[in-house]
Amino acid sequence: MDSPCRYEIRLKGHLAARWATRFDGMTLTSQDDGTTLIEGPVVDQAALHGLLHTLRDIGVPLISVTQLDPIVTPSFDNPPPKHSLT
Amino acid sequence: MPTALLETKLFVPRPRRGLVSRPRLSERLSHVTASKLILVSAPAGFGKTTLLAEWLAARSAAPTDERQVAWLSLDPRDNDPAVFWPYFVAALQTAAPGVGVSALALLQSARPAPIEVVLTELLNDLDALPSDVILVLDDYHVIEGQEMQASMEFLLDHLPSKLHLVIGSRADPALPLARLRARGELVEIRAAELRFTLDEAAAYLTESMGLVLTAPDVATLEGRTEGWIAALQLAALSMQGRDDVTGFIAGFAGDDRYIVDYLVDEVLDRQPEGVRDFLVQTSILDRLSGPLCDAVTGRDDGTAMLKMLDRANLFVVPLDDSRRWYRYHHLFADVLQTHLLAERADADDLHRRASHWYGQHAEPSPAIRHALAAGDVDRAADLMELAIPELRRTRREATIRGWLDLIPDEVARVRPVLAIGFIGALMAGNEFDAVEPRLNDLERWLEPIGDRAATWTRPPGMVVVDHPEFLRLPAAVELYRAALALIRGDAPGTISHAQLAMDRTTEGDHVIRAGAAGLSGLAFWSQGDLVAAHRGYSLCVEGLQRSGHDSDVLGATITLADIRITQGRLRDAARTFEQALQRAAADVGPTLRGTADMYVGLSRIAFEHDDLDAATQHLERARELGEHTWLPQNPYRWRVAMARLREADGDLEGALQLLDEAQRVYVGDFSPNVRPVPAMRARVLAGQGRLTDALAWAREQGVSADDELSYMREFEHITLARVLLAQSRAGSPKQSAGEAAQLIDRLLRAAEEGKRDGSVIEVLVLQALSRPADGDMPGALTSLERALVLAEPEGYVRVFVGEGPPMASLLTKVAKQRGGSDYVGRLLGAGRRPAGRPAVAAIRGNGRRLVEPLSERELDVLRLLGSDLDGPVIARELSISLNTLRTHTKSIYAKLGVTSRRAAVSKGAELSLL
Repeated sequence: MDSPCRYEIRLKGHLAARWATRFDGMTLTSQDDGTTLIEGPVVDQAALHGLLHTLRDIGVPLISVTQLDPIVTPSFDNPPPKHSLT
Repeated sequence: MPTALLETKLFVPRPRRGLVSRPRLSERLSHVTASKLILVSAPAGFGKTTLLAEWLAARSAAPTDERQVAWLSLDPRDNDPAVFWPYFVAALQTAAPGVGVSALALLQSARPAPIEVVLTELLNDLDALPSDVILVLDDYHVIEGQEMQASMEFLLDHLPSKLHLVIGSRADPALPLARLRARGELVEIRAAELRFTLDEAAAYLTESMGLVLTAPDVATLEGRTEGWIAALQLAALSMQGRDDVTGFIAGFAGDDRYIVDYLVDEVLDRQPEGVRDFLVQTSILDRLSGPLCDAVTGRDDGTAMLKMLDRANLFVVPLDDSRRWYRYHHLFADVLQTHLLAERADADDLHRRASHWYGQHAEPSPAIRHALAAGDVDRAADLMELAIPELRRTRREATIRGWLDLIPDEVARVRPVLAIGFIGALMAGNEFDAVEPRLNDLERWLEPIGDRAATWTRPPGMVVVDHPEFLRLPAAVELYRAALALIRGDAPGTISHAQLAMDRTTEGDHVIRAGAAGLSGLAFWSQGDLVAAHRGYSLCVEGLQRSGHDSDVLGATITLADIRITQGRLRDAARTFEQALQRAAADVGPTLRGTADMYVGLSRIAFEHDDLDAATQHLERARELGEHTWLPQNPYRWRVAMARLREADGDLEGALQLLDEAQRVYVGDFSPNVRPVPAMRARVLAGQGRLTDALAWAREQGVSADDELSYMREFEHITLARVLLAQSRAGSPKQSAGEAAQLIDRLLRAAEEGKRDGSVIEVLVLQALSRPADGDMPGALTSLERALVLAEPEGYVRVFVGEGPPMASLLTKVAKQRGGSDYVGRLLGAGRRPAGRPAVAAIRGNGRRLVEPLSERELDVLRLLGSDLDGPVIARELSISLNTLRTHTKSIYAKLGVTSRRAAVSKGAELSLL
């Protein structure tokens, strides 16, 4: 849990694009269903909680928090899974 | 602490005119007196603060309500207990003047007490409150530190009935809410209840805001905002002065944008450019005043702008009655800041200007925050370096520790003065591992100084802004090295580093001198070198006196007197306490903390002199002075002293109870714990004849007769010798007598080598008592003679008298040999005095009561034990077997806390059981 992961956070309402300055390195996209998706890398759990605090403080209703695939840095010790090559 | 900030944090917000009255919520709040905690927990903009302000205002208008009200608005800096608790007390003092003064003093003493001790002190004060106090802690969600949460939980667990806490928070606090809920001690108001109902929304929009709206309009607004008050407020602001209100509502309802974004844009778009710029630029500020805004905007209309925003109700909240300080509503400030970052490139400049203004107004914390926000780490580091001495003086090390994480290592490494500040904070937080590498790193800047201080030029690359502090560095580094060595148990290392620290102190630096002298004194003490320990501690006391740490002088006095008592210099020890009392009495202001401890010390000496009445009176005096005059260690010291009086009184059960309590309230300090409470307990157990229990103590503590001896464990080894003696006297295995004798011989040699006459006397007494068993009466008398020679000039009595009849018989023999001696005569006289003096019993009133009463049968046995009849005759008299008689007798002895027939009878007489 302490390695960088990508997260997807869904909020109620369309958040203006300028909020991206508050969520450094994350992308904000407005969805057709009236929600906003914030997506991007989160260094660790502490950073995730910091992000959630920011959302709490601006009072925007939170719908879901999802962990996407962990970021795997390919290396000799950690080769990419075979099946992804085929 | 800057008073302007202090006041704004303690300001009880006043409700605005034209608020919607919400009786359904006020009714819930009125249950405050029945509950421990009211929690108002909801996201930003739900009207938590407004609700509480309104409720308090309505309440104080009711003449029948005598409850006092206090308020504390929290901010992230309050995560440092040394910041939080002073504010907490200051807030309480606005409602109950004078409360918590001693807790505050404890917090700011040079030897900070554990937070629980501080809070206990505060809770005692709160217990005595004349009327109920309601304390609101607003914005509690900023409290996240583990340490703060633990201390709040402690407070809540022990909350006196007169204090009622109200917490306003955006997130549920980490407090045992489920437990409080289960006990019905929690009143909760949450988002669901805070949302405006349709009726409330209608009342607000049409009555308070004067808008002309149809019922469907109101319903649409209520639906779109879901009763979120901040949104309704923004919507109302957008609609004011608008012709096409229905069109606005339709546009708003049909838009997917985040409500606040949409509405703030609407509001901002309707402001003149000057106002809009002002709002965006000043959104970086936590607090706003006219002059501060001017410094940030470069304009001169700050005060007028704030007044205008206040009148227009544009999301400024006044922070004081004179309307000098304001803040933006948090939600509004957040949106404004996104505009700032998206629309302007000068955010860093704005922060830099704010930092400058705060720097000029001697408020380092916000100055540092803005410098960091501006990306100006060097300026932040400068500000920290200059602020650290004051923070250290007021024990706010946790604040300094928090800064450490904000400054990159490479910046701190070229700043030796800042680095030593961080080292001090790490030490205070027990993060010792991080200290050594930092000290090594820092020292490379100091190496060239040496003896050439006058010709020394600053090495290139080094940054120092606080020059006086830089001159203290060579001594400070050694002081911390000495402290690290002491923590590792390395006494020689402590002593050599402390010596270097003293050699390197600058003229008049009494603080470092006192610290170094104290550390080396402690190291010498732990090695048993009491002469050097006393010398070190005397220097420490002198330094503390010169630097004005009066309470700490009293604390160190106890150490000085302890050393004297161990050295067998009772009269010097008494003088030490008396002089300290005289000095303390000369101090104007409230009685110094530590004063009561001096009386407990005097009681110990009176006890050795066997003046039990005086010993009792001293303890009584200490208690009368009140706990605000006690050092944190006194609750345990007082009980230990009282236990010894009980023991002398023959009330061994009472003594044990007090010792158990003493162990529970035990708080250590820097001094080595040379008289551990469990050992004292073992002595009493041995006195009761509970030898198995006493020996269990020795096993648990790893004390054995063939240990290598050291002063640190001397008291425990003498205790073991006592237990072994008691065992051999009780007819147990022969070997314990031999073991005891050998241990006593070795203890005697060690105590003599260390010139610890107090210990020598006690060991000689034990030796004298052990020898008759081997048939060595002349040897016994020689030991006793030696003890008497040492003891007479200092007036020791108790150490002899406490040994009872075996000692009396030895003393009688010595008296015959000596052909009359005043001193021995006095000892014999003291021994014959009837046991049990009312003076001691009076202290607690129940000193006479047995913990476990005797049964009818046991009372019969006890009465016959008082006769001249022997065992078999008594057994026949009662028609029981001899074995049964023995069982009864053993039980009686245990209940009375005695070990002999004679003692049982005299104890029985004293308790009027015969």
